[in-house]
Amino acid sequence: MMRDNRSRALPITISVLIALGLTILPLPDVLDAFRPDFLVLVVLYWAITSPQSGGLALAFLTGLALDVIQGVVLGQHALALVLMSAWATNLRLRLRVFPLMHQTLSIFALLAGYQFILFWVDGATGNPVTSFARWLAPLTGALFWPVLAGLLRSTHER
Amino acid sequence: MAVFRSPDTSGRVTALLLRSVLYSLLALGLIVVDKRYDHLGKIRQYLSIVAYPIQVAVASPFQGWAWFRESVTTRDTLRADKTRLEQDLRVAQFRLQRYEALEAENIRLHALRDNTAGVAARFVVGRIVQVDLDAFRERVLMDKGARDGVFIGQAVLDSGGVFGQVTRIGQLTSEVILISDSTHAIPVQVNRNGLRTIAVGTGDSSLLKLPYLSTSTDIVKGDLLVTSGLGGGFPRGYPVGVVTDVKRDPAQSLADVSVKPSAALDRARELLFVWLKESDIAAAPLPDPKPAAPVAQPPQPGAPRP
Repeated sequence: MMRDNRSRALPITISVLIALGLTILPLPDVLDAFRPDFLVLVVLYWAITSPQSGGLALAFLTGLALDVIQGVVLGQHALALVLMSAWATNLRLRLRVFPLMHQTLSIFALLAGYQFILFWVDGATGNPVTSFARWLAPLTGALFWPVLAGLLRSTHER
Repeated sequence: MAVFRSPDTSGRVTALLLRSVLYSLLALGLIVVDKRYDHLGKIRQYLSIVAYPIQVAVASPFQGWAWFRESVTTRDTLRADKTRLEQDLRVAQFRLQRYEALEAENIRLHALRDNTAGVAARFVVGRIVQVDLDAFRERVLMDKGARDGVFIGQAVLDSGGVFGQVTRIGQLTSEVILISDSTHAIPVQVNRNGLRTIAVGTGDSSLLKLPYLSTSTDIVKGDLLVTSGLGGGFPRGYPVGVVTDVKRDPAQSLADVSVKPSAALDRARELLFVWLKESDIAAAPLPDPKPAAPVAQPPQPGAPRP
């Protein structure tokens, strides 16, 4: 188990940093709403494949980083990421054996849950975003999942 | 923890539940504390230093590309630019001659009325860091922060007019909310007749609205709106936008007025942070005529206040 943790630490750190970069990469306004939540996908992937090293602590810390970078109320993304990766970790044994289609649908549910928590905290802190465009991101994120899962799997399965 | 490592599946699920509840409570606590109290501002300032390298790393290819394009421009382009800039400077200096006289007169008059609110005293130029903060909010990240004396609520201008104000500060960076953000409102005045009202953002960077004017108000297409200086946040007399459309529906009590912002909200690269003049001008003798030139020549950050 220890060896496993150490070998996963590097791919986890690198993938999270890259996802963070993709999250703030400037895009044209038209495409911006379609940007998948890369960081959430990466955190969910590690919550499913190696909950020991990439679990709730990872979700909490990356969520906090996202709060600071996006300048929203501290703890918002952390809360959403922690709850969704706890759910993903709970479902991981089933998720791992699901066919790709089922897996993608489950990821869509997780991403939608994530957006819903953000939406709820936005509203509760008096900062609501009413645009429907915010529900596009879970859709594109779920579509992106097979690619991302394939990429990340190649980092630790030879 | 050893107990939770047991191969028994139900034990693992309990541990997961326990830990997720703990982390969620921690996050909820952060949300409440950050929302209700002000203590986290300092923590956030220092956390933002950690985020800075990532932001710079993402922005650097774009800045590198801009630098590259600048450095390979042809001689002809440079000459054309130089001629144009010289012309602009001449016009600006010509205007400035009158501006200084007017400014002095204005300060004298305001001293009479004991009202000196909202005259800009000092400018610092900041660059926009090329990162996307949030797809649904009109905000930009600037490369000046608490270290440079930037403060929350500070007015930010670009060469065309009012751009926005500072909402959050980090040590090295600050976040500016645009006047077009749907949660932003700015006190304005119609330049033609002095009518005061409030311009609110719509979430569209090319449109502001004046929602609080009745249908009988004297406002027409083409009217220039300037900051009124009321509220003390923004310096007075800077252009905010031009009225593009006035709809008067007799069935409604309020007119529907659209305004196009004067600042290049979607294109600007460099912005000016503004420090307002202290209200001690009335006490002082007449100032040396060295007022802050709004656009032509921003004084250095360390320059003494006039």
